[in-house]
Amino acid sequence: MNATGIPLKEPSVSAAAGDAEQLERALIDASTRVPVLMFYTSAMAWLILGTLLAGFVSFKLHTPDLFSDISFLTWGRVRPAHMNVMVYGWASMAGMGTAIWLMARLCRTVLRYPLLLVAGGGFWNLGVLLGVSGILLGDSTGYQWLEFPRYAAIILFVAYTLVASWAVLMFRFRRGEQIYITQWYLLGAFLWFPWLYAAGQLMLFVVPVQGVLQAAVGWWYANNLLFLWFGAIGLGTAYYMIPKVIGRPVYSYHLAAIGFWSYALFSSWTGMQRLVDGPFPAWMVTASIAATILTIIPVATVGLNHHMTMQGYFPLMRYSPTLRFTVFGAMSYTVFSLIGVLISLRSVARYINFSQASIAYSHLGLYAFFTMVIFGSMYYIVPRLIGREWRYASLIKLHFWASAYGIGLMTLMLLAGGFLQGANIENPSLAFSESTETILPYLRGRSLAGILLTVSHFIFAYHFGLMLLGLGRQSTVPTFLNPVEAEGSEAHV
Amino acid sequence: MKGLAPLFLGIFGTFAFSWVGLTVIPNWQIGNLNPQSDEEGTDIYPMPQSGMVVRGARVYAANGCIYCHSQQVRADYAGDDIERKWGDRRSAPRDYIFERPVFLGKARMGQDIANIGARAPVEGENVPPGSAASPAASPAPQAGAPAPSVAPSGVSPTPPPPNPASPAPPAGSPAASPAASPGSPPPRAPGAPAPKPPLASPPSSATANATPGAATSASGTPAAGAPWPIQTSGEPPMYSAAWQHVHLYSPRSINPDSNMPSYRFLYQTRRISDARSADALKLTGSDAPPEGWEIVPTFDANCLVAYLMSLNQSHPLKEVRSAAPKAPAQSPAAPPASPAPAK
Repeated sequence: MNATGIPLKEPSVSAAAGDAEQLERALIDASTRVPVLMFYTSAMAWLILGTLLAGFVSFKLHTPDLFSDISFLTWGRVRPAHMNVMVYGWASMAGMGTAIWLMARLCRTVLRYPLLLVAGGGFWNLGVLLGVSGILLGDSTGYQWLEFPRYAAIILFVAYTLVASWAVLMFRFRRGEQIYITQWYLLGAFLWFPWLYAAGQLMLFVVPVQGVLQAAVGWWYANNLLFLWFGAIGLGTAYYMIPKVIGRPVYSYHLAAIGFWSYALFSSWTGMQRLVDGPFPAWMVTASIAATILTIIPVATVGLNHHMTMQGYFPLMRYSPTLRFTVFGAMSYTVFSLIGVLISLRSVARYINFSQASIAYSHLGLYAFFTMVIFGSMYYIVPRLIGREWRYASLIKLHFWASAYGIGLMTLMLLAGGFLQGANIENPSLAFSESTETILPYLRGRSLAGILLTVSHFIFAYHFGLMLLGLGRQSTVPTFLNPVEAEGSEAHV
Repeated sequence: MKGLAPLFLGIFGTFAFSWVGLTVIPNWQIGNLNPQSDEEGTDIYPMPQSGMVVRGARVYAANGCIYCHSQQVRADYAGDDIERKWGDRRSAPRDYIFERPVFLGKARMGQDIANIGARAPVEGENVPPGSAASPAASPAPQAGAPAPSVAPSGVSPTPPPPNPASPAPPAGSPAASPAASPGSPPPRAPGAPAPKPPLASPPSSATANATPGAATSASGTPAAGAPWPIQTSGEPPMYSAAWQHVHLYSPRSINPDSNMPSYRFLYQTRRISDARSADALKLTGSDAPPEGWEIVPTFDANCLVAYLMSLNQSHPLKEVRSAAPKAPAQSPAAPPASPAPAK
């Protein structure tokens, strides 16, 4: 029941016996090449666009008179455009790319009808494009995280159905009895998302619920999207990449099971804590706060499991880009969840519920955790699809440090600034504008962090472009961040 | 984990649990609220929104006002919203039953505006020329009285409640724009034939409540919220429709510390044909248009302002205790007070 069932065999398999498996794996990788690269390429394009929009949003927040004559550049339109590009364009597409590849690998089955997936990706791109244009042209629905106008939402849903039904089908054709941890999370994500999205759309647009319940449905949707879609893909990916790269089975299968089920149970009940003290029955908010606190259980088990798996192998982060990004992401998951617990407590939320601190929280989840894990997986997967290795170790290092410092600085600025802002809002003896002024220096700091992130994304996009053009290194040895002394264990990096 | 069935069941079960718990049950609990009314079926609150207001809400959504402004007043034990004069009671689910989308908001880079309409000055004859009612209702309201003269006093020059035609835009807009009204949700406006009562009862009772000072001390102390943005001289009275337009066009001309973007794209600069339009913005300094030109609100801007002026939660609700200090004095006083002007 423990590590033996995990189908990550190559560390233990001898070179001769591994030949057949190697061939099989190469075949699977080849079958996923077109769709996964297509998802990754689209995601990269959205990432760059979203980064530019983010920079604009960030600067405009402390320079409010910028372009005030142009309707589609007003802050209140560019902000949701940025957010939706990142959520549906970058994060969802990159996450689906990784998930497809992982599913194929773990089900040990070649991808059938890859063109269907490509069509799904195409529709998804179209949906995001229409949606973002709609927002910029003033067609936003006004529901946070669901701003896409309905025509775009329908296209997204069709696209999603293509992708997901297909991923679930692959699951049906899997070989081998065992279902690995990653597959639980991915299967969960692929099944949760359509329900979530459909429920959100139905309850807000088709048969709208009354009054404040729209806000409740909205935050239920947003938080579950964060946890059950992005969080599940991110955790599943981390459960694959960490053991794979260090060549060692996951520390405890039981812990993983506890982590998964408690995650599914508790994190899906969060969301209402963002409506604390609003016009709602108090039990809703309290239930979500309790659920948020209970998410400490999955956080602790997942964190412990990863930590014990990594035990003794942490030095490998010096070499493997995948490991470095993934471990950073996995650690950020812990930080993200703990900060989530902290800011959901009523005594704290009273002060910061309406401040910019909640922006820090979403960025911790979507960037420091999810995006970093996905970056890591892309460093692992892309060479296997293209048959070339990443060209410059230095660019990978730059990418990592710019991202890590960027998101770190941004989180600090928004959290610190948010706490001060919130404290000033809650101090009626101060004029309201003082609270806004308090946070302005921090917002400028955030813009600085945004520059770092922009640099990092452009570097990555350039590097990725080189890979796409076939300009990677031709080598049997992966690109290490630092020169490797002859040691055995790095061979699989 | 071997069997697929437990995995599927678990995945569906956990999610169904959350879906039922956090959306279906609340919907069953507070998803079918009706407006409240007194025994005779008058004094109904809240009322369905009119066409212009509904369109204004769409402008509000389209331009992302929600990312900076919340529309919810927390109870006095949960926050200092009431002390900040953002309202005199906490918001309740019933306040929002006709709102779609609902703009509770999540951030306060700007002020809470759940009650911004309640702060509009109660106007007697001194209707500022640029009030939002004008484009909608009749092309020329009483444009005679120049606004600047009343400006310095800030809020509420005339507190007394008996003032049927009080806050201009909410009153003007519903009546004036039947064309756009299909958007407004018709459901269960019990009793009262739809459009007319909304102007009469809620606004007037609203203003009666918005100025709690008036109930206790008759001297007409300014309404709640006098310390809000700094009023500079020469502008239309604070929170009047004309003021909202100037504020949207050039926030920093009203409050130099404001961080709000200006929404110039909602306004038109045009050459004055024969006489200055009644609704032209009164701008000073660098914002003022060149000689012979004027800046007038577009229809969207008028709708947005009509929407803002309609934001008013000052009507008492049975399930909500009004602000603690005033509660004993007001609760006996309010029920008789509010129907009175309505009739």
